[in-house]
Amino acid sequence: MTIAIHTEGLTKHYGDVKALVDLDLDVAAGEIFGFLGPNGAGKTTAIRTLMDEIRATAGSATIVDLDTHRDSVAIRRHVGYVPGDLAMYPNLTGKDTITYFSNLRGGVEWPHVDELAERLDADLSKKVGDLSTGNRQKVGLILAFMNRPQVLIMDEPSSGLDPLVQREFQLLLREFVTDGGAVFLSSHTLSEVQRVADRVGIIRHGHLIALETVSELRSKAIRRVDLYFDGPVDAANFESIAGVRDVEVRNHHISLSFDGHVETLLQAASDTSTLIDITTQEADLEEIFLTYYRDEV
Amino acid sequence: MLTNVFTKTTRDRWLGWLIGAAAVALMFLFGMAVYQDIDLSLYTDLPVAFRTMFGIPENADVGSLAYGAIYGSYGMLTMAALALATGAASIGAEERNGTIGLLLGNPVSRTSVLISKAASLVILTAFGFVILWVAAIATPAILDVSTIGLDINALLFAMFINALFYGFFALAISAWTGNSSLASGVSAGVMVVSFIAVGLLPIVSGWENLAKVFPWYYYQNSQPVMNGLNWVHMGVLVAGSAVFAVIAVVGINRRDLRGQSVGVKMIDRLRANHYTHAIAERFAGTARVSRIWIKTASDYQGFLLIVSFSMFLMSIIIGPMYGLIDAQLKDFGAAIPDAMLAMFGGGDLSTFEGFYQIEIFGLMAPLAVMAITIAIGAGAMAGEEKRNTMGLLLANPIRRSTIILQKTITMVIYASIVGFATFLGTAAGATIGNLGMSLWYVAATCILATLLGLAFGGLALALGAATGRVPVAVFGSVGVAFVTYIVNAFLPLSQNFGGWAKMSPFYYYLGGDPLLEGLNWIHAGVLSGLAVALFALSIVLFERRDLRAKG
Repeated sequence: MTIAIHTEGLTKHYGDVKALVDLDLDVAAGEIFGFLGPNGAGKTTAIRTLMDEIRATAGSATIVDLDTHRDSVAIRRHVGYVPGDLAMYPNLTGKDTITYFSNLRGGVEWPHVDELAERLDADLSKKVGDLSTGNRQKVGLILAFMNRPQVLIMDEPSSGLDPLVQREFQLLLREFVTDGGAVFLSSHTLSEVQRVADRVGIIRHGHLIALETVSELRSKAIRRVDLYFDGPVDAANFESIAGVRDVEVRNHHISLSFDGHVETLLQAASDTSTLIDITTQEADLEEIFLTYYRDEV
Repeated sequence: MLTNVFTKTTRDRWLGWLIGAAAVALMFLFGMAVYQDIDLSLYTDLPVAFRTMFGIPENADVGSLAYGAIYGSYGMLTMAALALATGAASIGAEERNGTIGLLLGNPVSRTSVLISKAASLVILTAFGFVILWVAAIATPAILDVSTIGLDINALLFAMFINALFYGFFALAISAWTGNSSLASGVSAGVMVVSFIAVGLLPIVSGWENLAKVFPWYYYQNSQPVMNGLNWVHMGVLVAGSAVFAVIAVVGINRRDLRGQSVGVKMIDRLRANHYTHAIAERFAGTARVSRIWIKTASDYQGFLLIVSFSMFLMSIIIGPMYGLIDAQLKDFGAAIPDAMLAMFGGGDLSTFEGFYQIEIFGLMAPLAVMAITIAIGAGAMAGEEKRNTMGLLLANPIRRSTIILQKTITMVIYASIVGFATFLGTAAGATIGNLGMSLWYVAATCILATLLGLAFGGLALALGAATGRVPVAVFGSVGVAFVTYIVNAFLPLSQNFGGWAKMSPFYYYLGGDPLLEGLNWIHAGVLSGLAVALFALSIVLFERRDLRAKG
């Protein structure tokens, strides 16, 4: 497995504020890594440090085996980047913008750009200043993909994209990693990461608090369970069961989150009253995310 | 009226008004003190054109001169400029910043927002004039200058009404078009043209009445400080402001609001047109984005055109003008104290070189080059960070130093173009006026002006590279330029501090009298060395720091 991005004790302080603390992680080639966290958790700080926009207080990072600070220029030949809060030159058209940045890299591969523009439904003839947020974001995505990089680093790349374009973008990402690329993608849109990422890191207050595959996270098996009875039920009968939380009772219906043995739950249900119906839903990352943050949210 | 919109607008701009009014008040104090010590006949003997333009009354004494020339002329221009900037920003800036939608997302009418902005304009203008009024009362008392026979209240009231006129003019354009740059540009243009026309037209036989077409006439012609208020003239200005207010209300309600759109320019239309596409692309298309320095050049080409063309025109006019007023100038020059001449860069008015130095090279040429170099220096680095585009730029495989070098290339080329335009204008002016100036010496002076501008551009670049903040880069370099200009202009007047002038870059510009002596290579070397050192420092400072997340 080739490691595309490697960080070791990566730390960034702004005075007394610890924006990023001891970040250790690897992102492999052929992998989409989702970097999740609430606003202000340190996602953008990590990305800007990787891109050498800001310099680490301690620790180090490499991208394709090159040091992110010392070899930053060389690294950028291999990286496509979408900054958070993307801004471009408003008086240039999308085409001008692409030409400008391509010239800094040594030329444009227009057929590839045109293909990307078509897939993302981007209008490159308009001035960037006249584009909506989503359409401007499409130009940003084309800039990231157009030079066929080895690594994509993207800070909230789906901002403003409509669902159809989001789907196309996710397809592009999947094709990119299938061809051996690595993606480091920050997001607070959990459903997006759930759909595209292979592995997820969860960051809070600058600390990486979890690092697992999406399937591992799912296997934490938090389920939303709804039980329907033929008579009134008492929440107390369920609250004492290990793995049960968030119990809500509405007349004959009880709703709860559960990550224990189903057998125990069923036993308690049949002891309570006659069970008429049961539905369960697999927890999405949203719920898993909240579970991790349970003590802090 | 919406109290919170009014309060916020006022809060956003009061500091600018405070600084502007305080600067005028200080100038007034300084001017009145100087006028006490000099023979005022040099002003009263001035050609009528000069006197009218600068508001100097006939038979002026210390008081009337200070009020008339400093308040009535420089002060009036400053306050009117503040008013028109406030008026222009009122609606246009909200649209440019994309905040107008948020503002009008609340249950408030466009008219009520406009009225709140207009009320803020009136209050801010009044605030500025209260400061001027306090200074107008306190200064003569401190300096023991008589103000008998002067109607200070009338002057300040007339100034207030005149400032509001330009404020409402800009407000109307801003509300009608949503374009704050257009509003401030057009209203400032009308103000300056009007100021000059009202000064000059009355002395041209047969054209006296044409001055009445220009609004400045209704402020200046009646000389309120000597004759009290002319209510008819005030009525014209108030009526004008009222008409502008109505136009503003109609304008804001009739049109689509602008988003953060950049608008469609002539070149965009040419690019879109089938027939002109190919040629327009050459100027505005891929050609302008082929390199960082070319794109930077493209960003500032309009500004360059205005500055270099203005310098060309101004310096071409001076030559023939010298021939017309040669005799008067010789007497005038002899009567002007050194301190006053120093204020405009020094120079012997009895010679044409001295006249050129006073009119063009003393102040205008360095100001013109610095306007370009500081604009590029500050905008180049800090501007990219402010607009949040630096991250995207640096996502490409280029060094930070490359960006600085590329922006520096634009700065050097543009500074040279302004210098060259000044040279061409002066050479043409000198030829037309048959002055027999040495073109090589003119070129030497222009080279030094260019190098001086580059030194301050380098400072702006370094400040921007170090902090990523545009205001620090602009105000820092302008502040240093102002202080070092004063150091060079005034300290040599005192025997004790004469040597201090060498601390100022301005000393190495005109200190060697290049118009008379040619290029002083050591001086050129000092200015070039300073510029190169500051460019190098910019690279070091920029390489080592974190980019700002948002300017």
